[in-house]
Amino acid sequence: MNSSSTKNKAIRVENLSKFYGKTLGVNNISFDVDPGEIFGFLGPNGAGKTTTIRLLLDLLKPDEGSITIFGKPLNEFSMEIRRHCGYLPGEFQAYKHLTGYQYLGLFADLRKSLNDDLSILLEKFQLSPRDLKRKTSQYSRGMMQKLGIVQAFLHKPKLVILDEPTSGLDPLMQEVFYALIFEKQMEGTTIFFSSHNLPEVEKLCSRLAIIRQGQIVSVESIESLKQKVGHVMEILLDGELPALEIEGADLISAMGNRYVFKIKGDLSKVLQKVSGLPLKDITITRPTLEKVFMEFYKTS
Amino acid sequence: MKALSYFRMVWKTNKAFAIFTMALLASTQLLILNLVTTFDTQAIIASIVEQLPKNMQVFLKESFFSTLTFDGAAAFGYNHPMVIALIIVNAINIPARHISRELESGTLEVLLSHPVKRNMFITTLWASGIVLLFLITLSAFLSSILGVYLFHQLSADVVFKILEISLNMWLFSVLILSYSLMIASKSKGGGLTGSLSAMIAFVFYVVFLISQLWSTLDFLLPYNIFYYYEPQQIMLGRGHIGLDTLVLVGLSGLCFGFSVIFFNKRDIP
Repeated sequence: MNSSSTKNKAIRVENLSKFYGKTLGVNNISFDVDPGEIFGFLGPNGAGKTTTIRLLLDLLKPDEGSITIFGKPLNEFSMEIRRHCGYLPGEFQAYKHLTGYQYLGLFADLRKSLNDDLSILLEKFQLSPRDLKRKTSQYSRGMMQKLGIVQAFLHKPKLVILDEPTSGLDPLMQEVFYALIFEKQMEGTTIFFSSHNLPEVEKLCSRLAIIRQGQIVSVESIESLKQKVGHVMEILLDGELPALEIEGADLISAMGNRYVFKIKGDLSKVLQKVSGLPLKDITITRPTLEKVFMEFYKTS
Repeated sequence: MKALSYFRMVWKTNKAFAIFTMALLASTQLLILNLVTTFDTQAIIASIVEQLPKNMQVFLKESFFSTLTFDGAAAFGYNHPMVIALIIVNAINIPARHISRELESGTLEVLLSHPVKRNMFITTLWASGIVLLFLITLSAFLSSILGVYLFHQLSADVVFKILEISLNMWLFSVLILSYSLMIASKSKGGGLTGSLSAMIAFVFYVVFLISQLWSTLDFLLPYNIFYYYEPQQIMLGRGHIGLDTLVLVGLSGLCFGFSVIFFNKRDIP
Protein backbone atom coordinates (compact mmCIF):
# COMPACT_ATOMS: atom_id res chain seq x y z
CA MET A 1 0.00 0.00 0.00
CA ASN A 2 1.70 3.25 -1.06
CA SER A 3 1.80 6.18 1.32
CA SER A 4 0.09 8.67 -1.00
CA SER A 5 -3.01 6.49 -1.30
CA THR A 6 -3.01 6.06 2.49
CA LYS A 7 -2.88 9.83 2.94
CA ASN A 8 -5.92 10.25 0.71
CA LYS A 9 -8.07 8.00 2.85
CA ALA A 10 -10.02 9.01 5.92
CA ILE A 11 -9.65 5.50 7.36
CA ARG A 12 -7.38 2.72 6.21
CA VAL A 13 -7.48 -0.60 8.01
CA GLU A 14 -4.95 -3.22 6.99
CA ASN A 15 -4.81 -6.86 8.09
CA LEU A 16 -6.25 -6.04 11.47
CA SER A 17 -6.70 -8.84 13.99
CA LYS A 18 -7.92 -8.83 17.55
CA PHE A 19 -8.43 -11.82 19.79
CA TYR A 20 -9.79 -11.85 23.34
CA GLY A 21 -7.69 -14.70 24.64
CA LYS A 22 -8.75 -17.54 22.37
CA THR A 23 -11.99 -15.86 21.34
CA LEU A 24 -11.99 -14.20 17.95
CA GLY A 25 -12.80 -10.51 17.77
CA VAL A 26 -11.78 -9.73 14.20
CA ASN A 27 -9.40 -11.63 11.97
CA ASN A 28 -7.27 -10.07 9.25
CA ILE A 29 -9.75 -7.39 8.17
CA SER A 30 -8.91 -4.69 5.66
CA PHE A 31 -10.98 -1.85 4.26
CA ASP A 32 -10.75 1.85 3.67
CA VAL A 33 -13.07 4.83 3.83
CA ASP A 34 -12.82 7.93 1.66
CA PRO A 35 -12.96 11.43 3.12
CA GLY A 36 -16.51 12.77 3.18
CA GLU A 37 -17.97 9.31 2.64
CA ILE A 38 -20.84 7.79 4.58
CA PHE A 39 -19.59 4.27 5.06
CA GLY A 40 -21.86 1.54 6.35
CA PHE A 41 -20.67 -1.32 8.49
CA LEU A 42 -23.00 -4.28 8.63
CA GLY A 43 -23.03 -7.55 10.43
CA PRO A 44 -25.10 -9.55 12.89
CA ASN A 45 -24.52 -9.48 16.63
CA GLY A 46 -21.11 -10.82 17.60
CA ALA A 47 -19.70 -10.46 14.07
CA GLY A 48 -17.00 -8.01 15.18
CA LYS A 49 -18.58 -4.59 14.48
CA THR A 50 -18.07 -3.15 17.97
CA THR A 51 -14.57 -4.63 18.18
CA THR A 52 -13.67 -2.86 14.91
CA ILE A 53 -15.13 0.43 16.15
CA ARG A 54 -13.21 0.18 19.43
CA LEU A 55 -10.03 -0.59 17.52
CA LEU A 56 -10.63 2.53 15.39
CA LEU A 57 -10.86 4.62 18.56
CA ASP A 58 -7.75 3.09 20.12
CA LEU A 59 -9.85 1.69 22.95
CA LEU A 60 -8.66 -1.81 22.07
CA LYS A 61 -5.09 -2.67 21.18
CA PRO A 62 -4.83 -4.78 18.01
CA ASP A 63 -2.89 -8.04 18.01
CA GLU A 64 -1.88 -7.54 14.40
CA GLY A 65 -2.34 -5.07 11.58
CA SER A 66 -2.53 -1.32 11.36
CA ILE A 67 -5.02 1.52 11.32
CA THR A 68 -4.34 4.82 9.62
CA ILE A 69 -6.73 7.72 10.06
CA PHE A 70 -6.33 10.86 7.93
CA GLY A 71 -2.95 9.51 6.87
CA LYS A 72 -1.62 9.12 10.40
CA PRO A 73 -0.99 5.81 12.15
CA LEU A 74 -3.39 5.48 15.06
CA ASN A 75 -0.87 3.91 17.41
CA GLU A 76 1.39 6.98 17.12
CA PHE A 77 -1.12 9.82 16.78
CA SER A 78 -3.98 8.53 18.90
CA MET A 79 -4.59 11.79 20.80
CA GLU A 80 -4.44 13.96 17.70
CA ILE A 81 -6.75 11.64 15.78
CA ARG A 82 -9.28 11.43 18.62
CA ARG A 83 -9.32 15.23 18.74
CA HIS A 84 -10.98 15.11 15.32
CA CYS A 85 -13.29 12.17 16.02
CA GLY A 86 -16.80 12.04 17.38
CA TYR A 87 -18.22 8.81 18.72
CA LEU A 88 -21.64 7.55 19.60
CA PRO A 89 -21.60 4.02 21.04
CA GLY A 90 -24.49 1.58 20.85
CA GLU A 91 -26.78 1.93 23.89
CA PHE A 92 -25.27 5.27 24.82
CA GLN A 93 -25.28 6.16 28.53
CA ALA A 94 -24.38 9.50 30.14
CA TYR A 95 -23.20 10.19 33.68
CA LYS A 96 -26.39 9.82 35.69
CA HIS A 97 -25.47 12.38 38.35
CA LEU A 98 -24.98 15.17 35.83
CA THR A 99 -27.56 17.30 34.08
CA GLY A 100 -27.56 17.46 30.28
CA TYR A 101 -25.81 20.84 30.42
CA GLN A 102 -23.18 19.57 32.84
CA TYR A 103 -22.57 16.51 30.68
CA LEU A 104 -22.07 18.52 27.49
CA GLY A 105 -20.01 21.07 29.46
CA LEU A 106 -17.70 18.33 30.74
CA PHE A 107 -16.94 17.11 27.23
CA ALA A 108 -16.61 20.62 25.83
CA ASP A 109 -14.04 21.20 28.59
CA LEU A 110 -12.20 17.96 27.79
CA ARG A 111 -12.03 18.89 24.13
CA LYS A 112 -11.30 22.52 24.90
CA SER A 113 -13.54 23.36 21.99
CA LEU A 114 -17.20 23.90 21.38
CA ASN A 115 -19.32 23.83 18.26
CA ASP A 116 -20.59 27.31 17.43
CA ASP A 117 -23.73 25.63 16.17
CA LEU A 118 -24.42 23.85 19.45
CA SER A 119 -27.65 25.77 20.03
CA ILE A 120 -28.80 24.89 16.50
CA LEU A 121 -27.93 21.25 17.13
CA LEU A 122 -29.87 21.28 20.41
CA GLU A 123 -32.81 22.94 18.73
CA LYS A 124 -32.80 20.40 15.88
CA PHE A 125 -33.01 17.54 18.33
CA GLN A 126 -35.55 19.38 20.47
CA LEU A 127 -33.39 19.38 23.59
CA SER A 128 -34.80 22.36 25.41
CA PRO A 129 -33.00 24.27 28.20
CA ARG A 130 -35.52 22.69 30.58
CA ASP A 131 -34.52 19.19 29.44
CA LEU A 132 -30.83 20.01 29.73
CA LYS A 133 -31.26 21.24 33.30
CA ARG A 134 -32.56 17.82 34.32
CA LYS A 135 -30.28 15.02 35.47
CA THR A 136 -29.64 12.50 32.71
CA SER A 137 -30.91 9.73 34.99
CA GLN A 138 -34.39 11.16 34.32
CA TYR A 139 -33.98 11.00 30.54
CA SER A 140 -35.99 8.63 28.37
CA ARG A 141 -34.14 6.32 25.96
CA GLY A 142 -34.79 8.71 23.09
CA MET A 143 -33.63 11.78 25.04
CA MET A 144 -30.47 9.97 26.03
CA GLN A 145 -29.80 9.06 22.40
CA LYS A 146 -30.31 12.66 21.30
CA LEU A 147 -27.85 13.83 23.95
CA GLY A 148 -25.40 11.21 22.67
CA ILE A 149 -25.74 12.46 19.10
CA VAL A 150 -25.16 16.07 20.20
CA GLN A 151 -22.14 14.90 22.21
CA ALA A 152 -20.70 13.19 19.12
CA PHE A 153 -21.05 16.31 16.97
CA LEU A 154 -20.16 18.77 19.74
CA HIS A 155 -16.79 19.83 18.32
CA LYS A 156 -17.32 19.71 14.51
CA PRO A 157 -15.44 16.42 14.09
CA LYS A 158 -13.81 15.42 10.80
CA LEU A 159 -14.72 11.79 11.41
CA VAL A 160 -17.80 10.53 13.24
CA ILE A 161 -18.17 6.91 14.28
CA LEU A 162 -21.76 5.96 14.98
CA ASP A 163 -22.98 2.64 16.36
CA GLU A 164 -26.74 2.14 16.01
CA PRO A 165 -27.32 5.91 16.12
CA THR A 166 -31.08 5.91 15.60
CA SER A 167 -32.02 3.27 18.16
CA GLY A 168 -34.54 4.83 20.52
CA LEU A 169 -35.30 7.77 18.20
CA ASP A 170 -38.84 8.31 16.98
CA PRO A 171 -39.38 8.48 13.17
CA LEU A 172 -39.47 12.28 13.27
CA MET A 173 -36.11 12.48 15.04
CA GLN A 174 -34.70 9.81 12.72
CA GLU A 175 -35.45 12.14 9.79
CA VAL A 176 -33.74 15.00 11.64
CA PHE A 177 -30.75 12.74 12.19
CA TYR A 178 -30.59 11.73 8.50
CA ALA A 179 -30.70 15.39 7.50
CA LEU A 180 -27.85 16.12 9.90
CA ILE A 181 -25.77 13.29 8.45
CA PHE A 182 -26.23 14.59 4.90
CA GLU A 183 -25.50 18.15 6.06
CA LYS A 184 -22.28 17.01 7.73
CA GLN A 185 -21.30 15.04 4.65
CA MET A 186 -21.72 18.20 2.58
CA GLU A 187 -19.35 19.92 5.00
CA GLY A 188 -16.79 17.17 4.36
CA THR A 189 -17.27 15.06 7.50
CA THR A 190 -16.57 11.36 7.12
CA ILE A 191 -19.19 9.13 8.71
CA PHE A 192 -18.53 5.54 9.76
CA PHE A 193 -21.92 4.06 10.35
CA SER A 194 -22.77 0.77 11.97
CA SER A 195 -26.40 -0.24 12.04
CA HIS A 196 -28.83 -3.13 12.01
CA ASN A 197 -31.41 -0.93 10.37
CA LEU A 198 -30.83 -1.90 6.74
CA PRO A 199 -33.26 0.54 5.07
CA GLU A 200 -31.42 3.27 7.00
CA VAL A 201 -28.03 2.08 5.76
CA GLU A 202 -29.42 1.91 2.22
CA LYS A 203 -30.73 5.44 2.53
CA LEU A 204 -27.55 6.97 3.95
CA CYS A 205 -24.50 5.02 2.86
CA SER A 206 -22.72 5.02 -0.45
CA ARG A 207 -20.50 2.02 0.35
CA LEU A 208 -20.56 -0.62 2.97
CA ALA A 209 -18.55 -3.43 4.46
CA ILE A 210 -20.17 -6.63 5.58
CA ILE A 211 -18.50 -8.44 8.43
CA ARG A 212 -19.20 -12.03 9.37
CA GLN A 213 -17.58 -14.06 12.12
CA GLY A 214 -14.79 -11.51 12.46
CA GLN A 215 -13.97 -11.34 8.77
CA ILE A 216 -14.90 -8.83 6.10
CA VAL A 217 -16.85 -10.67 3.42
CA SER A 218 -17.54 -7.71 1.18
CA VAL A 219 -16.64 -4.05 0.77
CA GLU A 220 -18.61 -2.52 -2.06
CA SER A 221 -21.04 0.16 -3.07
CA ILE A 222 -24.64 -0.71 -2.36
CA GLU A 223 -25.39 -0.61 -6.09
CA SER A 224 -22.74 -3.17 -6.98
CA LEU A 225 -23.84 -5.37 -4.11
CA LYS A 226 -27.36 -5.29 -5.44
CA GLN A 227 -26.12 -6.08 -8.90
CA LYS A 228 -24.30 -9.10 -7.55
CA VAL A 229 -27.50 -10.39 -6.09
CA GLY A 230 -29.35 -9.46 -9.30
CA HIS A 231 -33.05 -9.03 -10.05
CA VAL A 232 -36.05 -11.07 -9.07
CA MET A 233 -38.45 -11.78 -11.92
CA GLU A 234 -41.93 -13.09 -11.33
CA ILE A 235 -43.91 -14.24 -14.36
CA LEU A 236 -47.48 -15.40 -14.73
CA LEU A 237 -48.05 -17.57 -17.79
CA ASP A 238 -51.17 -18.42 -19.66
CA GLY A 239 -51.09 -22.09 -18.66
CA GLU A 240 -48.50 -24.31 -17.04
CA LEU A 241 -45.29 -25.42 -18.73
CA PRO A 242 -43.85 -28.81 -17.67
CA ALA A 243 -40.20 -27.77 -17.50
CA LEU A 244 -39.60 -24.08 -17.80
CA GLU A 245 -35.95 -23.15 -18.20
CA ILE A 246 -34.69 -19.68 -19.13
CA GLU A 247 -31.05 -19.18 -19.97
CA GLY A 248 -29.42 -16.64 -17.59
CA ALA A 249 -32.12 -17.01 -14.93
CA ASP A 250 -32.37 -19.41 -12.01
CA LEU A 251 -35.78 -20.75 -11.08
CA ILE A 252 -36.44 -20.11 -7.41
CA SER A 253 -40.03 -21.26 -7.13
CA ALA A 254 -42.94 -22.42 -9.25
CA MET A 255 -46.52 -22.51 -8.12
CA GLY A 256 -49.11 -23.37 -10.76
CA ASN A 257 -48.49 -21.02 -13.65
CA ARG A 258 -46.56 -18.51 -11.47
CA TYR A 259 -42.76 -18.72 -11.68
CA VAL A 260 -40.12 -16.79 -9.76
CA PHE A 261 -36.57 -16.46 -11.17
CA LYS A 262 -33.42 -14.84 -10.01
CA ILE A 263 -31.46 -13.04 -12.71
CA LYS A 264 -27.82 -12.34 -12.11
CA GLY A 265 -26.62 -11.65 -15.62
CA ASP A 266 -27.80 -9.41 -18.42
CA LEU A 267 -31.43 -8.53 -17.91
CA SER A 268 -32.16 -7.67 -21.57
CA LYS A 269 -31.12 -11.14 -22.80
CA VAL A 270 -33.44 -12.80 -20.33
CA LEU A 271 -36.28 -10.49 -21.32
CA GLN A 272 -35.79 -11.44 -24.95
CA LYS A 273 -36.19 -15.09 -24.00
CA VAL A 274 -39.23 -14.42 -21.85
CA SER A 275 -40.95 -12.45 -24.61
CA GLY A 276 -41.44 -15.72 -26.50
CA LEU A 277 -43.49 -17.21 -23.68
CA PRO A 278 -47.30 -16.93 -23.26
CA LEU A 279 -47.05 -14.14 -20.70
CA LYS A 280 -50.03 -12.91 -18.67
CA ASP A 281 -48.04 -10.75 -16.27
CA ILE A 282 -44.42 -9.98 -15.39
CA THR A 283 -42.82 -8.17 -12.41
CA ILE A 284 -39.12 -7.41 -12.11
CA THR A 285 -37.82 -6.08 -8.79
CA ARG A 286 -34.43 -4.96 -7.48
CA PRO A 287 -33.68 -6.56 -4.14
CA THR A 288 -33.66 -4.39 -1.03
CA LEU A 289 -30.47 -4.19 0.99
CA GLU A 290 -32.14 -6.46 3.50
CA LYS A 291 -32.47 -9.17 0.84
CA VAL A 292 -28.90 -8.57 -0.32
CA PHE A 293 -27.69 -8.89 3.24
CA MET A 294 -29.61 -12.10 3.84
CA GLU A 295 -28.40 -13.47 0.50
CA PHE A 296 -24.84 -12.66 1.46
CA TYR A 297 -25.14 -14.42 4.74
CA LYS A 298 -26.65 -17.49 3.18
CA THR A 299 -24.00 -17.82 0.52
CA SER A 300 -20.78 -16.68 2.19
CA MET B 1 -7.86 16.86 30.09
CA LYS B 2 -9.19 19.54 32.39
CA ALA B 3 -8.67 18.06 35.83
CA LEU B 4 -11.04 20.46 37.56
CA SER B 5 -13.98 19.52 35.30
CA TYR B 6 -13.33 15.86 35.94
CA PHE B 7 -12.98 16.41 39.68
CA ARG B 8 -16.32 18.23 39.68
CA MET B 9 -17.88 15.18 38.04
CA VAL B 10 -16.26 12.82 40.57
CA TRP B 11 -17.45 15.06 43.41
CA LYS B 12 -21.02 15.22 42.07
CA THR B 13 -21.12 11.45 41.76
CA ASN B 14 -19.72 10.72 45.21
CA LYS B 15 -20.80 13.72 47.25
CA ALA B 16 -23.87 12.16 48.88
CA PHE B 17 -21.92 9.36 50.54
CA ALA B 18 -18.91 11.58 51.23
CA ILE B 19 -21.08 14.18 53.01
CA PHE B 20 -22.81 11.40 54.96
CA THR B 21 -19.38 10.11 56.03
CA MET B 22 -18.24 13.60 57.02
CA ALA B 23 -21.38 14.17 59.09
CA LEU B 24 -21.11 10.77 60.76
CA LEU B 25 -17.40 11.18 61.49
CA ALA B 26 -17.96 14.63 62.97
CA SER B 27 -20.94 13.59 65.10
CA THR B 28 -19.21 10.37 66.29
CA GLN B 29 -16.21 12.39 67.37
CA LEU B 30 -18.31 14.96 69.22
CA LEU B 31 -20.43 12.23 70.83
CA ILE B 32 -17.41 10.26 72.07
CA LEU B 33 -15.81 13.39 73.53
CA ASN B 34 -19.09 14.34 75.15
CA LEU B 35 -19.44 10.85 76.71
CA VAL B 36 -15.90 10.86 78.08
CA THR B 37 -16.32 14.28 79.67
CA THR B 38 -19.83 13.64 81.02
CA PHE B 39 -19.55 10.12 82.53
CA ASP B 40 -16.85 8.26 84.36
CA THR B 41 -16.70 5.76 81.51
CA GLN B 42 -13.24 4.56 82.56
CA ALA B 43 -14.54 3.04 85.80
CA ILE B 44 -17.54 1.43 84.11
CA ILE B 45 -15.50 -0.15 81.30
CA ALA B 46 -12.72 -1.19 83.68
CA SER B 47 -15.11 -3.30 85.74
CA ILE B 48 -16.36 -5.02 82.57
CA VAL B 49 -12.86 -5.64 81.24
CA GLU B 50 -11.87 -7.30 84.53
CA GLN B 51 -14.33 -10.12 83.74
CA LEU B 52 -12.63 -10.98 80.42
CA PRO B 53 -9.83 -13.54 79.78
CA LYS B 54 -6.24 -12.34 80.31
CA ASN B 55 -5.18 -11.97 76.65
CA MET B 56 -8.39 -10.09 75.87
CA GLN B 57 -7.67 -7.77 78.77
CA VAL B 58 -4.18 -7.05 77.41
CA PHE B 59 -5.57 -6.39 73.96
CA LEU B 60 -8.38 -4.15 75.18
CA LYS B 61 -6.09 -2.21 77.49
CA GLU B 62 -3.74 -1.63 74.53
CA SER B 63 -6.28 -0.65 71.95
CA PHE B 64 -9.39 0.42 73.78
CA PHE B 65 -8.90 1.15 77.48
CA SER B 66 -6.45 3.93 76.73
CA THR B 67 -9.17 5.69 74.76
CA LEU B 68 -11.15 6.33 77.91
CA THR B 69 -9.01 9.30 78.76
CA PHE B 70 -10.04 12.50 76.98
CA ASP B 71 -7.02 12.39 74.62
CA GLY B 72 -7.58 8.70 73.97
CA ALA B 73 -11.22 9.33 73.19
CA ALA B 74 -10.27 12.03 70.68
CA ALA B 75 -8.16 9.40 68.92
CA PHE B 76 -10.82 6.69 69.24
CA GLY B 77 -13.11 8.70 66.97
CA TYR B 78 -10.57 7.95 64.21
CA ASN B 79 -10.17 4.29 65.11
CA HIS B 80 -13.76 3.21 65.62
CA PRO B 81 -14.52 0.18 63.38
CA MET B 82 -17.51 2.00 61.89
CA VAL B 83 -15.32 5.00 61.01
CA ILE B 84 -12.66 2.75 59.48
CA ALA B 85 -15.34 0.91 57.48
CA LEU B 86 -16.78 4.18 56.16
CA ILE B 87 -13.38 5.47 55.12
CA ILE B 88 -12.59 2.20 53.36
CA VAL B 89 -15.93 2.19 51.54
CA ASN B 90 -15.34 5.78 50.36
CA ALA B 91 -11.83 4.97 49.17
CA ILE B 92 -12.89 1.79 47.34
CA ASN B 93 -15.98 3.37 45.85
CA ILE B 94 -14.08 5.90 43.73
CA PRO B 95 -12.14 3.52 41.45
CA ALA B 96 -14.89 0.90 41.58
CA ARG B 97 -17.42 3.44 40.36
CA HIS B 98 -15.30 5.47 37.94
CA ILE B 99 -13.48 2.61 36.29
CA SER B 100 -15.24 -0.70 36.81
CA ARG B 101 -18.86 0.44 36.77
CA GLU B 102 -18.18 2.98 34.03
CA LEU B 103 -16.65 0.24 31.92
CA GLU B 104 -19.91 -1.65 32.24
CA SER B 105 -22.17 1.32 31.55
CA GLY B 106 -20.03 2.49 28.61
CA THR B 107 -19.43 6.01 29.95
CA LEU B 108 -15.68 5.38 30.27
CA GLU B 109 -15.63 4.24 26.65
CA VAL B 110 -17.12 7.58 25.57
CA LEU B 111 -14.74 9.52 27.82
CA LEU B 112 -11.66 7.77 26.43
CA SER B 113 -12.84 8.23 22.84
CA HIS B 114 -12.16 11.92 23.51
CA PRO B 115 -8.62 13.33 23.36
CA VAL B 116 -7.81 12.16 26.88
CA LYS B 117 -4.50 10.46 27.64
CA ARG B 118 -5.01 7.34 29.68
CA ASN B 119 -2.28 8.20 32.18
CA MET B 120 -3.82 11.68 32.54
CA PHE B 121 -7.18 10.11 33.22
CA ILE B 122 -5.88 7.71 35.86
CA THR B 123 -3.80 10.46 37.50
CA THR B 124 -6.80 12.81 37.57
CA LEU B 125 -9.01 10.11 39.05
CA TRP B 126 -6.41 9.30 41.69
CA ALA B 127 -5.94 12.99 42.52
CA SER B 128 -9.72 13.50 42.68
CA GLY B 129 -9.97 10.58 45.10
CA ILE B 130 -7.15 12.00 47.22
CA VAL B 131 -8.89 15.39 47.39
CA LEU B 132 -12.22 13.78 48.29
CA LEU B 133 -10.58 11.72 51.06
CA PHE B 134 -8.81 14.87 52.23
CA LEU B 135 -12.17 16.61 52.62
CA ILE B 136 -13.47 13.68 54.67
CA THR B 137 -10.34 13.77 56.84
CA LEU B 138 -10.67 17.52 57.19
CA SER B 139 -14.17 17.11 58.60
CA ALA B 140 -12.81 14.63 61.18
CA PHE B 141 -9.98 17.02 62.04
CA LEU B 142 -12.23 20.06 62.40
CA SER B 143 -14.83 18.20 64.48
CA SER B 144 -12.06 16.89 66.77
CA ILE B 145 -10.69 20.38 67.26
CA LEU B 146 -14.20 21.68 67.85
CA GLY B 147 -14.88 18.93 70.41
CA VAL B 148 -11.61 19.53 72.21
CA TYR B 149 -12.38 23.25 72.25
CA LEU B 150 -15.99 22.80 73.45
CA PHE B 151 -14.89 20.55 76.31
CA HIS B 152 -12.12 22.94 77.34
CA GLN B 153 -9.18 20.65 76.58
CA LEU B 154 -7.63 22.68 73.77
CA SER B 155 -3.85 22.85 73.82
CA ALA B 156 -1.13 23.11 71.19
CA ASP B 157 0.00 19.55 71.92
CA VAL B 158 -3.50 18.10 71.40
CA VAL B 159 -3.99 20.08 68.18
CA PHE B 160 -0.63 18.88 66.88
CA LYS B 161 -1.44 15.26 67.73
CA ILE B 162 -4.87 15.48 66.09
CA LEU B 163 -3.16 16.93 63.04
CA GLU B 164 -0.76 13.94 62.97
CA ILE B 165 -3.64 11.49 63.41
CA SER B 166 -5.57 13.18 60.61
CA LEU B 167 -2.54 12.93 58.33
CA ASN B 168 -2.24 9.25 59.26
CA MET B 169 -5.91 8.63 58.48
CA TRP B 170 -5.72 10.49 55.18
CA LEU B 171 -2.64 8.58 54.01
CA PHE B 172 -4.17 5.30 55.11
CA SER B 173 -7.32 6.01 53.10
CA VAL B 174 -5.14 7.04 50.13
CA LEU B 175 -3.45 3.62 50.30
CA ILE B 176 -6.85 1.88 50.19
CA LEU B 177 -7.79 4.13 47.24
CA SER B 178 -4.51 3.34 45.48
CA TYR B 179 -4.68 -0.43 45.71
CA SER B 180 -8.37 -0.34 44.70
CA LEU B 181 -7.34 1.78 41.71
CA MET B 182 -4.72 -0.82 40.82
CA ILE B 183 -7.31 -3.60 40.98
CA ALA B 184 -9.81 -1.57 38.94
CA SER B 185 -7.15 -0.80 36.30
CA LYS B 186 -6.61 -4.49 35.72
CA SER B 187 -10.00 -6.06 36.41
CA LYS B 188 -12.70 -6.75 33.85
CA GLY B 189 -15.77 -7.19 35.99
CA GLY B 190 -17.60 -4.30 37.65
CA GLY B 191 -18.32 -5.92 40.99
CA LEU B 192 -14.86 -7.46 41.24
CA THR B 193 -13.04 -4.25 42.16
CA GLY B 194 -15.32 -3.44 45.05
CA SER B 195 -15.52 -6.94 46.49
CA LEU B 196 -11.83 -7.78 46.03
CA SER B 197 -10.65 -4.46 47.50
CA ALA B 198 -13.02 -4.80 50.46
CA MET B 199 -11.94 -8.40 51.00
CA ILE B 200 -8.26 -7.38 51.06
CA ALA B 201 -9.00 -4.69 53.67
CA PHE B 202 -11.08 -7.13 55.71
CA VAL B 203 -8.40 -9.86 55.65
CA PHE B 204 -5.74 -7.34 56.71
CA TYR B 205 -7.99 -6.15 59.53
CA VAL B 206 -8.78 -9.64 60.82
CA VAL B 207 -5.12 -10.71 60.62
CA PHE B 208 -4.16 -7.48 62.41
CA LEU B 209 -6.61 -8.17 65.26
CA ILE B 210 -5.48 -11.82 65.57
CA SER B 211 -1.81 -10.81 65.47
CA GLN B 212 -2.45 -8.38 68.31
CA LEU B 213 -4.23 -11.03 70.37
CA TRP B 214 -1.88 -13.93 69.66
CA SER B 215 1.78 -13.22 70.29
CA THR B 216 2.89 -16.11 68.01
CA LEU B 217 1.62 -14.11 65.06
CA ASP B 218 2.88 -10.71 66.07
CA PHE B 219 5.77 -11.03 63.58
CA LEU B 220 3.07 -10.41 60.91
CA LEU B 221 2.24 -6.96 62.22
CA PRO B 222 4.83 -4.97 60.20
CA TYR B 223 3.47 -6.60 57.02
CA ASN B 224 -0.05 -5.40 57.73
CA ILE B 225 -1.39 -2.07 56.45
CA PHE B 226 -3.36 -1.51 59.68
CA TYR B 227 -0.10 -1.55 61.60
CA TYR B 228 0.68 1.81 59.97
CA TYR B 229 -2.65 3.32 60.98
CA GLU B 230 -2.35 4.06 64.69
CA PRO B 231 -4.38 7.04 65.93
CA GLN B 232 -4.34 5.97 69.57
CA GLN B 233 -0.61 5.30 69.65
CA ILE B 234 0.05 8.69 68.11
CA MET B 235 -2.23 10.39 70.65
CA LEU B 236 -0.47 8.61 73.51
CA GLY B 237 2.91 9.66 72.12
CA ARG B 238 3.88 6.06 71.30
CA GLY B 239 3.29 6.26 67.56
CA HIS B 240 5.85 6.37 64.76
CA ILE B 241 4.24 8.82 62.37
CA GLY B 242 7.42 9.15 60.29
CA LEU B 243 7.56 5.44 59.49
CA ASP B 244 3.78 5.28 59.00
CA THR B 245 3.94 8.15 56.51
CA LEU B 246 6.87 6.63 54.66
CA VAL B 247 5.22 3.21 54.32
CA LEU B 248 1.76 4.53 53.42
CA VAL B 249 3.10 7.03 50.86
CA GLY B 250 5.53 4.46 49.42
CA LEU B 251 2.88 1.76 49.03
CA SER B 252 0.35 4.23 47.60
CA GLY B 253 2.91 5.44 45.06
CA LEU B 254 3.73 1.86 44.09
CA CYS B 255 0.08 0.93 43.64
CA PHE B 256 -0.52 4.09 41.62
CA GLY B 257 2.48 3.31 39.41
CA PHE B 258 1.09 -0.15 38.68
CA SER B 259 -2.35 1.37 38.04
CA VAL B 260 -0.88 3.61 35.33
CA ILE B 261 0.93 0.66 33.71
CA PHE B 262 -2.11 -1.63 33.84
CA PHE B 263 -4.53 1.00 32.62
CA ASN B 264 -2.33 2.05 29.70
CA LYS B 265 -2.07 -1.54 28.52
CA ARG B 266 -5.65 -2.64 29.03
CA ASP B 267 -8.47 -2.91 26.53
CA ILE B 268 -11.55 -0.72 27.02
CA PRO B 269 -13.77 -2.36 28.00
